[in-house]
Amino acid sequence: MVHPDRSSAQNTHTTVTGQRTSRRRFLGAGAAVATTGALSACGGFSTGGSKEDGGSSDDGSLTMITWASDAEAAAFKALADGFKEQTGTTVKLQVVPYSEVLTAVDTGLRTDTPPDLFRVSYTDVAAYRGQNVLASLPDADTLKASFLPAFWSAVTDEQGTFGIPHHTDTSMVVLNTAAVASAGLGTLPATLDAAWSWEDFAAALGRIKPSRADSYAFAANWQNAGAYRWLNFVDQAGGRLLSDDLTSVAADDPGALKALTYTRDLFRKQLTPQNASARGQAASDLFLNQTVATAFAGDFLLAEIDGGGFEYSATFLPRDVNASADLGGNALVAVEASEKKEQALKFLTFCAQAEQMGTFCAAASVLPTRSDVDPATLKYPVRPDLMELYVEQAKAIREPLVQQVVVPSFSAINAQLRDRLDEVFLGGDDDAAALKRITDGVASVLKQS
Amino acid sequence: MRVRRWATSYAMLAPALALFGVFVLYPLVGAVRISLTNSTGIGQAKFVGLANYTAMASDPTFWQAAGNTALLAVVSVPVSLGLGLGIALLLRDRIPGGGLFRAVFLAPYVISGVVVAMAGRWIFDQNVGIVDRVLAGTGLPQPDWQSDGTAAAVSVVLVLLWARTGLAVILYLSALQGIDGDVLEAAELDGASAWQRLKGVVWPLLRPTTFFLTVMLVIETFQVFDIVWVMTKGGPAGSTELLVTYAYNQGFAARREGYGSAIGVVVFVVVLAATAVWWRVQRASEDEL
Repeated sequence: MVHPDRSSAQNTHTTVTGQRTSRRRFLGAGAAVATTGALSACGGFSTGGSKEDGGSSDDGSLTMITWASDAEAAAFKALADGFKEQTGTTVKLQVVPYSEVLTAVDTGLRTDTPPDLFRVSYTDVAAYRGQNVLASLPDADTLKASFLPAFWSAVTDEQGTFGIPHHTDTSMVVLNTAAVASAGLGTLPATLDAAWSWEDFAAALGRIKPSRADSYAFAANWQNAGAYRWLNFVDQAGGRLLSDDLTSVAADDPGALKALTYTRDLFRKQLTPQNASARGQAASDLFLNQTVATAFAGDFLLAEIDGGGFEYSATFLPRDVNASADLGGNALVAVEASEKKEQALKFLTFCAQAEQMGTFCAAASVLPTRSDVDPATLKYPVRPDLMELYVEQAKAIREPLVQQVVVPSFSAINAQLRDRLDEVFLGGDDDAAALKRITDGVASVLKQS
Repeated sequence: MRVRRWATSYAMLAPALALFGVFVLYPLVGAVRISLTNSTGIGQAKFVGLANYTAMASDPTFWQAAGNTALLAVVSVPVSLGLGLGIALLLRDRIPGGGLFRAVFLAPYVISGVVVAMAGRWIFDQNVGIVDRVLAGTGLPQPDWQSDGTAAAVSVVLVLLWARTGLAVILYLSALQGIDGDVLEAAELDGASAWQRLKGVVWPLLRPTTFFLTVMLVIETFQVFDIVWVMTKGGPAGSTELLVTYAYNQGFAARREGYGSAIGVVVFVVVLAATAVWWRVQRASEDEL
């Protein structure tokens, strides 16, 4: 979408400086330019896997589409090497940018050259499951007992288990050490049970604010694709966005209203910058450039934050009726249409073993989803002291919240949340009307899905 | 003989027709087809007729995006033309470093839109951006470029103007240099002032260029994506959401490919209609000359 018409504009320039008949040509050229430009984003243009690098290959090897940092790519390569050693089957990794991974998978599916395996966010599993894209795990019952229930339920429905919950990440409060000291906050809560209440958290932010006159106290990580993290507050307040049967919106939910009031107060009291809204700048960027003294941040960001050049620490997300945290992380799934489905499922089972999971999580700075993998034994390369806390925080990921964020239409719900939250955070209508704006938006998505 | 001539003509046209078919017609038909389904981008989609189009009618964000897009065209196209013509008039005469100035004005147009947008994002960052720092230093109020709707829209328009005025400058400059000097000299000998020469001689001769630029800039306005996507993501509160960013959002972020395609089709129809209307207006205007 980067001005595809520029070259045509320049090439035709000489014909228009004085020739009246060239108008028709321009109209035609204009139509062509308009067509390609307006529709290319929507008409399914994309690059996908080929037999060699993306689709099923003919040499007996498996193909897996994934995104990966350098550390993750090396960790996946180690898994592939281990699987080859054990079974003789090669797993070829097709590493693409995060923003392109679903397009690459979808293109493969549409052109009958699907990958055998791919990596997918928990919030996208149900969308693929709903289209019967994913293969069911045959040894699910054997594996189930080893996994933490919240993550297992993210890949499981009444028909079966469609992938393995490979790892997780979640958010905590990261704090600029200097800001904490100047605000005199003292010792930070060191256990999940001792986490700040909402009132305590607001009071802490209130103490930080005057000590940083030219900046702000806090930014939450609910920007863009992370809009769903606002639901942490809703769940902490004992509320819901979706009804118990997940088919409609929980209208006028007291917990949701309480969460909305609390989070809007962050803006009203200028504890958080206005551009930390749902379509605004990433909270981690605001923390790194020290616009804010504290932020919610996932453990996968620790390496980036660590390079920020200032001291920082972390504590648990604030709690209200419940302690609650967001479901981050990803599953590995096999494709039903793959000609090598059985081998692909064996690879999933291999990756689901405790030893492999532990090795991967340590290398990639993410958290295990198996209850029998002790994170304390993992050698995390960046801030292992904070990773211990993240492990504890992940225990607050609750099934009621997980169920709401893994419904098939959640991508559309998240997009609605982002747009509506951005309006209400920066808008002036009363809280009940603001909540109705959000729930109406989500209801419209559910109605169309 | 006639058949042979036709065959020759079509043989010569064939490569262009093939390219048109593959890169224009096929995606166009594909997009229209998808717009009539509930496609999510995964698996089989169901035919839903015009449901995506009727849903648009009651979608406030769609109308907000349409209004923003129209407003952007109304504001940015005339200003781009005015700035382009003004700068071209200043650069028309041979001046020391004229080539450098042309390159400077054209540079934002030929470099990646994403790069321009990234620069705009940092320049207008409301916390650490240079614009607010300079305003603060001079004691002037500092707009909230990223969280105030009007200020965000202004920042997008400013960066858009920066990005594309260069095209207008270069085209107007070429057109000005193509005007016969004898005509201007005759007008001057007849006693026409500089303003009268510009209004009565230069401007009419620039009409084809103005027409071309208007068409291209209007089409471009309906395609502005990179600048908005990088600078504001359509926010705050939808104040910079455009039809193309909304189509992308719906098609990819929300995985409503059918709905996103329907918005794309609407953009296509509107651009075609606007171009056709403008073409007719321009033709009528030239016939009067």
